[in-house]
Amino acid sequence: MPFRRYLPHYLMIAPFMVLFAVFFLYPILSGLFYSFHDWNGVRTPEFVGAANYTKIIGSRDFSRAMGNLAAYIAITVPLGILVALGLALLVDSFTGRWSNFFRNAYFMPVVLPAFLAATIWRWIYAPNFGLLNIVLGWFGIPSVNFLNDTDTMLYALIAVDIWVSAGFNMVIILAGLKNIPTELYEAARLDGASKRQQLFHVTVPMLWPVLFFVLTYGLISAMQVFDKPWLLTGSSFTSYGGRRNALLFPVMDMMGRAFGGVKFGEAAAYGFLLTIAIVVVTGVMFGLRAWSERR
Amino acid sequence: MAFLDISSVSKSFGSVSILRDVDLSIEEGEFVVFVGPSGCGKSTLLRMISGLEEISAGTISIAGEVMNEIEPADRGAAMVFQSYALYPHMTTFENVSFGLRMAHKARDFIAGRVNEAATILQLEKLLARKPGQLSGGQKQRVAIGRAIVREPRVFLFDEPLSNLDAELRVQMRAELTELHKRLGTTMIYVTHDQIEAMTLADKMVVMAGGLIQQAGPPLTLYDDPDNQFVAGFVGSPKMNFLAGQLASVDAGSVKLSGVGGAADITLPIGGVGGGARAVTLGVRPEHLTIAGDDAPGALSGRVTLVEELGAESFVHLTVADGTPMIVRARRDAARAGSRVRLGIDAGRALLFERDGQRIRGSLSLQ
Amino acid sequence: MSTMRKQRRLTVWTALKWALALAIALVAVFPIWWMINVVFAQAGEPVSLNPRLWPTSLGAGIDKIATIFAETGYLRAYGISILYALLTIAGVLLVGSLAAFEFSLFEFPGRKILFGVVLLALMVPTAVTIIPTYVLVSRLGWLNTMEGLVVPGLASAFGLFMLVQFMRAIPKDMIEAARLDGAGHFQIYWHVVLPLCRNALVTLAILTFIQTWGNYMWPLIVGTREELYTVGQVVGQFNSPLSHHTVDTVMTANLLAAVPPLIFFLIFQRQIVQGIAMSGSKG
Repeated sequence: MPFRRYLPHYLMIAPFMVLFAVFFLYPILSGLFYSFHDWNGVRTPEFVGAANYTKIIGSRDFSRAMGNLAAYIAITVPLGILVALGLALLVDSFTGRWSNFFRNAYFMPVVLPAFLAATIWRWIYAPNFGLLNIVLGWFGIPSVNFLNDTDTMLYALIAVDIWVSAGFNMVIILAGLKNIPTELYEAARLDGASKRQQLFHVTVPMLWPVLFFVLTYGLISAMQVFDKPWLLTGSSFTSYGGRRNALLFPVMDMMGRAFGGVKFGEAAAYGFLLTIAIVVVTGVMFGLRAWSERR
Repeated sequence: MAFLDISSVSKSFGSVSILRDVDLSIEEGEFVVFVGPSGCGKSTLLRMISGLEEISAGTISIAGEVMNEIEPADRGAAMVFQSYALYPHMTTFENVSFGLRMAHKARDFIAGRVNEAATILQLEKLLARKPGQLSGGQKQRVAIGRAIVREPRVFLFDEPLSNLDAELRVQMRAELTELHKRLGTTMIYVTHDQIEAMTLADKMVVMAGGLIQQAGPPLTLYDDPDNQFVAGFVGSPKMNFLAGQLASVDAGSVKLSGVGGAADITLPIGGVGGGARAVTLGVRPEHLTIAGDDAPGALSGRVTLVEELGAESFVHLTVADGTPMIVRARRDAARAGSRVRLGIDAGRALLFERDGQRIRGSLSLQ
Repeated sequence: MSTMRKQRRLTVWTALKWALALAIALVAVFPIWWMINVVFAQAGEPVSLNPRLWPTSLGAGIDKIATIFAETGYLRAYGISILYALLTIAGVLLVGSLAAFEFSLFEFPGRKILFGVVLLALMVPTAVTIIPTYVLVSRLGWLNTMEGLVVPGLASAFGLFMLVQFMRAIPKDMIEAARLDGAGHFQIYWHVVLPLCRNALVTLAILTFIQTWGNYMWPLIVGTREELYTVGQVVGQFNSPLSHHTVDTVMTANLLAAVPPLIFFLIFQRQIVQGIAMSGSKG
């Protein structure tokens, strides 16, 4: 009887919840199902237990992809946030028109689709005729094949990533900066703190929740990197990852197994493995925060 | 059968009880004010009448029909909110006509009703403006207009004047009284301000702790309160309360000793039962007079502060047992630091049990 | 004496600050600028003669744009991307606002649990859903259709979260007043709440546009036939080492793909920045 009273509410949320259940919850569950099966999309799936999982974990590509990922996030996330923090502080030190101007300039790359950033930079990095190599040529340095030299590829990717995402994080950090009451800085100044001391003892501690959010969100999205390395190496489903798999990453490997090797069960298992890794990392982050808050 | 009947109504949120067994009858056309300190349940009671809050137990009926299960919009009640709750993106006209438009009434019908309300409330020139362009008082009138067009049988007001400044409040009080006279509709009004309650109400309902302490005409509550809470709540400055002992009783009077620690006072209250016991004497600041130290009178005290208001003064003093008192006197009546004697108009003084109940004796005051 | 030194030190700091800020601005904007220059330069001109530091030929640029539209499926891809974006925006806003209305302003059994589940979704990586969602879409027969592109993305947890935050700020007594006035549930949603969160809706629309326009992975696997290629896919096509297009053509394609988001950004920068900042500070 009272259910009838709540009926309008359920009706209004129904479109969202139905779509959510069908296109989000169901895929998660069916993915779990497929991950324990061998399936090429056409035949009936064949139950193989944990075979997909063991196969993936033992494969060389997986180790390579995870290794690349570890190196990638270890550099790009902290570096990206430092750059974003620096940019935010820089923009904040200007006022009015100029502040907006710089903020917009730094934010512009974020608005560009990732595939665009990748293709533009692909040409900037091009050997001999790419912009970077032309500039190097002015200094007499021989051409570097940024995207094909296994030593430089990862760093080339990281540079593009920071170029695109620093502005995004900067905007969030800027909002956090604006929320710090000026009285705190004034009190610190009266207490004799220098600008650098103010930075470390007022700004950073007050920014901590925002930095934590940016860090965590950055980690979660960096662990799922796909667009940029795919496009920078000109990959396709038959040949991906760049020279000697230097830019092979988990999501790319997963997609390759699904659409290149047509092994959907394996790909589903791969997705879950990556998700476990992401959950672990997120858990560690939250655990660190809880631990530091308790002290 | 009263027009609006509140019968054994209780309300609780989970295990927290807000209202306990409330009974009240409201006649048609009455202006009723629920007044009391924060948390006493007055707003909750109002919202239960409107239908915005569920009734946990008991019934509320309008014109004989039980309203418990009926949708707010179908009860024939309209409400004016404390924050006015005007729709900021709509003009005054659209705000006032909102309910009628949602019911898909004819355009002429809507225009007619809105213009009528606008005339009553002097809103004719403001119909095209949006709330952001209106002053507090104007917004208040638009909110009232929105209620009027629905031609309700009960108007509900939830602290509507709290957001206005003092001067405007006085003006709006007068306008509300005018409106009530003009429309004659039953009005139920909630406020924490007892001055508003005193000036607006036909029937004043003082609430505290989820119970109705007393209901009746304002002056009755002022002169003849049922308990110490009502006595202290109504009237400003507050009534003075002094501890004392009921020493002896005879046919037409009651003798108190140790009032305020020291004084013996006799009150003309006859037929007081029970034995000797601790009691409380209540006397309003205007029923006391300041006399010099040598004048007759049982109560004496030391003046701590004199507030000169020009036409009169409020003299703050403490008596023997340390209880603070306020006396309403003429200007220059006393000086801080001096000792004074107080004269009491014994006929206007009130007597209470220690638990707050009023002691009336067998003869009740008129 | 010391005030003069302080003033001079201030100028040194300020000069450094400005130099740094401008240099970074240059780095941020230059690749876009370079792209414009490559397009608006004579085709085939050797880089040693014209290092593409500024546009040199308006005509050449226009030629290239015209060529791309005429000779490749680019115009069609543009249309597909725009349609994809518009449909997604309409869907996300409608479905999201209906649900956000309920979650933010009303109580009903199961509200907390349902909302909690959706919030958890924000933390689930796309990696785990994309393959199974593909399989589902394929089973529904929606591969290579607009439905397949659009519908899976409509239940946006981010959009819901953002709208709920906005709607929570609407004073409850406005809703109660509407209820007392006899407005029906949907009427309250349509006449009272939606107009009041216009800003949030606009911001969400813009963010959704930018995200949809730049979506690469999903269209890549759902739109395998050329008729349904989005701009992203076409650009990626031009980009692959198998393509025989020149830098000029590729850059023209890139530039055209960059124009809509850049225009949106230049017009709505305040809203976009505010929208992102708000979601970050509440997250």
